[in-house]
Amino acid sequence: MISKTAQQHIWYGVFGILMGGTLSLVGFTDFSEVHGMFTFSDFRLLFLFAATVALTMAGFGLLARNANIPKKSFNKGTVPGSILFGAGWAITGACPSIALVQLGEGKFIAVVTLLGIMFGVWGYRKLAAGGMQLDTGVCGEA
Amino acid sequence: MSSYLSWWMGALALSGVVIGFWFAVGRPLGVSGSWARIIMWREDKSIQAAEAPFRDNPAMLQDALMKATIAHFGEQAVYDTMARSKGIPAEELAAPGKKGVQNKASWTMHATFLVTLILGGLAATMLMGQFQPTFTLGELHTRMFGTGMGYLMTLFFGGAMVGFGTQLAGGCTSGHGLSGCSRLVPASLIATAAFFGTAVIVSFILYFTSGAGA
Repeated sequence: MISKTAQQHIWYGVFGILMGGTLSLVGFTDFSEVHGMFTFSDFRLLFLFAATVALTMAGFGLLARNANIPKKSFNKGTVPGSILFGAGWAITGACPSIALVQLGEGKFIAVVTLLGIMFGVWGYRKLAAGGMQLDTGVCGEA
Repeated sequence: MSSYLSWWMGALALSGVVIGFWFAVGRPLGVSGSWARIIMWREDKSIQAAEAPFRDNPAMLQDALMKATIAHFGEQAVYDTMARSKGIPAEELAAPGKKGVQNKASWTMHATFLVTLILGGLAATMLMGQFQPTFTLGELHTRMFGTGMGYLMTLFFGGAMVGFGTQLAGGCTSGHGLSGCSRLVPASLIATAAFFGTAVIVSFILYFTSGAGA
């Protein structure tokens, strides 16, 4: 009998591998594919994203209609933060999970992106803790 | 290298991950949240430690809450409220994971998640026989940003924008884009439109300035 904590660690690990593997297999880690999506010269990833949202919606509707899933609230950081993130994504081809998957694929240069992400997260947390009232809550934290 | 999965196969797999994650751990998927918890692991640890006795013992939590309530509102107000709200079993209010101390994932679970994301990328490329160590993000990227120190700076500060931006926005592609949009959460729809729109504009700027469009 394994403890609940150990079980949760295992689940996080299983889904880490599944998600990392999937993102790699669909080419979300390939800068030229992502750039193609953003410049509308290749619709594959665009369709993929839209279809994933639609399927997830259907799945939650069927399987977890009454589940009380935490919802994010809108606040003054939502739009400026997203704009900053979008620009960074277009430049590095990486969102917070992609840089890690890239590293696993052997694109060792992603270490630099990862250091940047860590610096950004750390800087934000320091500013938020410093009373700038930037704290907007983060995703996955429920 | 156009051996990538088709859009519908990818969508099936990815939505399976998002839904499966919720059923397995009971929390919505979101990678930028994991980053926050790991970078701040020291603070995280002390909060978790302070909460631990209450998490394991709902009665103790109830006692502490009651003590604080009495200190704040006075004893009479508490009796009045309790009399009025009869019919709601007290143990239900204090049930762990319901209204008591939230059963948060520990920072080590988030660390496990991020490390296994790396392993997932490794496994996928190994499986496809495409593992090949490189120090660039491909020909197109180097054509845009060159090599050397400037290239490293671009990646570092681009990464910092991603890190800072996702924290300020309260989510990223997985948290806002997938988990949020699929449930039509207004904040997530707005955030996704903002980061996707910005990425489109910046990508077109890069496309025309790098000569890729010529």
